[in-house]
This record gives sequence, structure tokens and C-alpha cells, in this order.
Amino acid sequence: MKIVIEDLEVWYSSIPALRDISLEVSEGEMTFVIGPNGAGKSTLLKTIAYIVKPKAGAIYIDGKSISRFSPRDLGKIVAYVDPQISKTIPSTVLEFLLTARYPHQATLGFSIQRHDLEIVEKISRQMNIAHLLNRRLDELSSGELQRVLIARALAQKPGVLLLDEPSAFLDLRYRLEILDYVKTSTEMNKITCIVAIHDLYLASLYADKIIMMNNGEIVAAGRPEEVLKKELLEKVYRVKIHLLNINGKNIVIPLEPIERIGLWV
Amino acid sequence: MALPLYERRVKHFFASLIILVTLLLFTFTLSLSIGSAMLDPVKVFKAIFLKPFGYSAEDNIDVIAMLRLSRALASLFCGASLALAGLLMQTITRNPLADPYIFGLSSTALTAVALGIILVPNLMVYKVYMIVVSFLGALAGYILTLSLSKLGGGSSLAMVLAGIAIASLFSGVSHILLYIVQQIVKTPYVYLLMGSVSTVLQRDLLFLALPTLLFAALIPALFKPLNAYLYGDEYAKQLGFNPTLVRDSAAFIAALLTAITIAFVGIVGFIGLAAPHIARFLVGSDHRFAAPIVALVGALLTLLADIVVKLVSLFAGAVGELPLGVVTAVIGAPFLAYLIVKKVRE
Repeated sequence: MKIVIEDLEVWYSSIPALRDISLEVSEGEMTFVIGPNGAGKSTLLKTIAYIVKPKAGAIYIDGKSISRFSPRDLGKIVAYVDPQISKTIPSTVLEFLLTARYPHQATLGFSIQRHDLEIVEKISRQMNIAHLLNRRLDELSSGELQRVLIARALAQKPGVLLLDEPSAFLDLRYRLEILDYVKTSTEMNKITCIVAIHDLYLASLYADKIIMMNNGEIVAAGRPEEVLKKELLEKVYRVKIHLLNINGKNIVIPLEPIERIGLWV
Repeated sequence: MALPLYERRVKHFFASLIILVTLLLFTFTLSLSIGSAMLDPVKVFKAIFLKPFGYSAEDNIDVIAMLRLSRALASLFCGASLALAGLLMQTITRNPLADPYIFGLSSTALTAVALGIILVPNLMVYKVYMIVVSFLGALAGYILTLSLSKLGGGSSLAMVLAGIAIASLFSGVSHILLYIVQQIVKTPYVYLLMGSVSTVLQRDLLFLALPTLLFAALIPALFKPLNAYLYGDEYAKQLGFNPTLVRDSAAFIAALLTAITIAFVGIVGFIGLAAPHIARFLVGSDHRFAAPIVALVGALLTLLADIVVKLVSLFAGAVGELPLGVVTAVIGAPFLAYLIVKKVRE
């Protein structure tokens, strides 16, 4: 599904969070949103999921404005992976994963379709969480929880997949495995995938397109080699950067902060 | 893995359902047999449940059992609605220590009832109006607590603290008002405060039973929004549910269920806290399974507590009866202690 964003503007009460955002994302591609803390990455994803309502501008999915989708239909199409879910009331991983199928079911239906269980089964095998299904959410390690959260979004079988910090808490192996899996399923199922991420290394490995944000605005957008440039990165992140070219990809190595936090001032 | 796990969950559900219903029938019969004239439970069972099949009871057993029927049914439905309200409250606050009274619902409902009786003493006669007044009081308590907790930042801690503040204030106010009400109704006001099912009349049972049955049937149908709500507002939103609507309608139902039990029985604590935990232990947090089980568990607990009330009054032989709320508190407080040790320490 193709996403078109026009002149988007989002405010949190009196504080502007996003300004003049216009972009296009095509299907079957991984678009990575990068930028420092508070740049507006999560806000952008939440606005596309229509969790946050924009003050001005519009977002179109396949030409139809998201404000004209019913919440249910949007739930069928868009999955947003929230890194924070509430787990104060104890529930198991399976109970959590089955909620992902709700947008595809009738609200009043009582029985669960075999088909839904099979989807959950398949994805939990692929994400290597099948052995966790009967565990309680609050008993998982943060890495296991992260995999469960991503599995939930994939079980929703969305056309638009929005991942907020998918690499947080994951070890080296799972960072690569999970992004690899997401990339494969993005290409196979023609998903539109947008990832907000801090890890520039992963962005350079897996991104088809990169959007760099700062202070609620888009600073640069395009193919990885167009965006991941020394001067631009140093200006936005205030960190000295060295770029390594490995297998034709620009790998970002952060060296040291440009301004040091003075302990002796 | 997913399929066998789910099938096991369904099996657990039906096993719990059958065991609980059996226990409930047993306890219900026992409750009918206990009283100033002790009856043989087997004969009572036959007299009550085999009557439609042409079984005729001996020695007027059916007459005595019928006299005790309204009391047993009242504790059954009171327990079921308190347990359902407790489950809803724990879900919408996402707080496992919440109960139907957490928002100060009980004390505001009681205040409203007391105020109503003082202003219009005839109110006592019309149970429907009693329910309406009590419901309005409960709803007012919910709105007060919610707005206070919003002022305090809207976190679940702010919600619990706001609930305590509202509950303490109105429990004081309701004590004062009930002290005055004593003059009007000529019963010691401890009964109004702590709850008793002995005063419920057969013709009032309908008001207690219908809403409980209605909502018990409704909650399994609405289980999906409730399940999604468990994991957070934003989570529910992106699955296409409106979290505010889910919370408000669940609170509305919980307030109504609580108000009805307060109008008829008074405050009966700990059922609404303990039953959801027991239900979740048996069948997990999925509301489709938890809602029917929680109603049965609540009914069973309250019936047992009422049996204790009857036995104590029979054998201790003091004037009047123990309030039901006292017994549930004595049974329930150790359970709360267990929760503190097990959950809060984590």
C-alpha cells in the first residue's frame, strides 16, 4: 500500500511536534526514520496509525485519507508496534497474540477461528517465541517481550507495518534476525514498512529509504547513500562521524560528541 | 503449540464451569437446609430441583425451603454482580488490586440512599427508586473520582488515591446520614453498612437478578474490546476500539451492578477483589472465559459467607445476625494479605 503524507502538522497541546511533513512511501520497501531524541519519529508513526490526530495536513493510504477509514478498517490495515504495553493484569503471550486478530473478526463473535490460531502458531514459530506462548507477559525478558510485540503486529497481517524502536533490548543475533525477517516479509507480502530507529548501523544495513528528522521536521530523505552523509549526520546528531564503506553500504561509526558535557564547568 | 494450548484453555474453562456449577448447586441446597429448623439437604435438593418433575416433598420441606429461597438467591446474585463489577473495575483501571468500591462507588451510593431515605422516607418501599438513587450516587462517585484522578495526572496511582479520598469522605458522610436514618427505619445502622441478605424479599429478587443475568450475558459478548483494553489505551485504539468508550461503558455497568447490591444488601467487601483473581487463576485473563467463571466464583463465595452468618447466629445465639460484610472481610482480608505478599513484592 502506498502512503502519501501532505503538509502534516501535529501539536501536543501547545507544543508543535511535527511541522510541514510531506513524504511518500511505497509498498514492499523498508523506510527507516532516524533522528535524535524528540525529533518526532514516534509521533510520525503514531499519526500514521491515527493514534495521534493531526492538526493540519492529510495522510492517504492508497489514495484514501485515513480520517475516512473506520477505526476497524484501519486496524485491519495498519499495525503499530508500541514498545510500551501495559502488563499489570497478568495474561499469557498467547492471549496477547490472539488480540491481534480482532480487527479481522466480528466484534460480537464468540468462537475463535482455527485459521487465526494457525496464523499465530506460524508467526510464533518464525519469531522463535513458540516456547513462550504459555508464559505470562510480565515474566518475559525484555528481548523476549520485544519479539512478542513484533510477532503481534505481524499476526495482524497488516498492509502497513509501523515499528517503533524494534531493535531496543535485542541482542546482536535477534537484531539482525528480526529485521531480516521483517524485510523478507515486507518484500514478499508487499507490506509498507516504516521503522523508527536509533541504531544507524541497522538503518544502513536494511533501509531502502531513509528519512532523517530533527525538531519535528524532515531534514533529508532518500536512498541511504544520499542521506547518510558525514556533514549532515554531524549537524543533526552533534557527534563526530566516520563513514565506512562495506559491501557498497555506508556504515556509520560515531566517534565522539562535538560538545562535551563539562563536568568541571 | 498455539492450538493445543488453546484447546487446553477451553478444556480448563469447561472443567471449571462444571465443577463450579456443581459446587454452587451443593452450597445452594446446603444454604436452604440451614436455619432454625435444620433440614436434610438431600430432601431439600429433591424438593427444590425435582419439583417440576412431579416430585412431592414430605413434611412441608418444600414450604420451609421456599421461605429460605429468596435469601439464598439474593446472596447468589449479589455475589455474582459484585464479582463481575470487580472484574470490570480491575480491567478498566488495569490494577489487580481494584475492586467495585475502589472509586468510592459504594460510599457515594450509600450516601445517596441515606439522603434519599431522610428526604423521602417512602423511598424504602419502592425498590426501583432505591436502585435509581443508589445508581446515581455510584455514578456521581465514579465521575468525582475520575475527575480528581485526572487533576492528579491520570496515572493508575492517582486513580487509586483519588478513590481512597472520595471513599473516606463519603464513608464518613454516609455514617452520619445512616445514624440519622436509624430513627426512620428502626434498624441498627450496622446492617445498612455491612450488608445483609436476610432482608431481601422475594418480590425484589427480580431487580437483583435481571441486571446481573443481563450483564453476565453481555460481558462475554463484549470480551474483545475488554481484552484489547488490558494492554493499554493506544493498543486498544490501534485495534480499532475506542478506549474511552470501553472504559466508560464498563464503568457504567460496574457502577450499576454495585449500586444494585448496595440498594438491596449493603456493602459487602472483598468478593469483588478476590473473585477475579480466583477466576484468572482458573482460566486466564481472557474475558470470554473469565467473565462467566468470575460470576460463579463470586456467587459461591457469597453463599458460603452467608452460610457462615447463619451458622454463627444459630450457635452463638446472640441477638440478631452478623452482617454479611463482616464475614466476607474476615475471609477476604487474608486473601488480600496473600496478594500483597505475592504481587506487590514483585
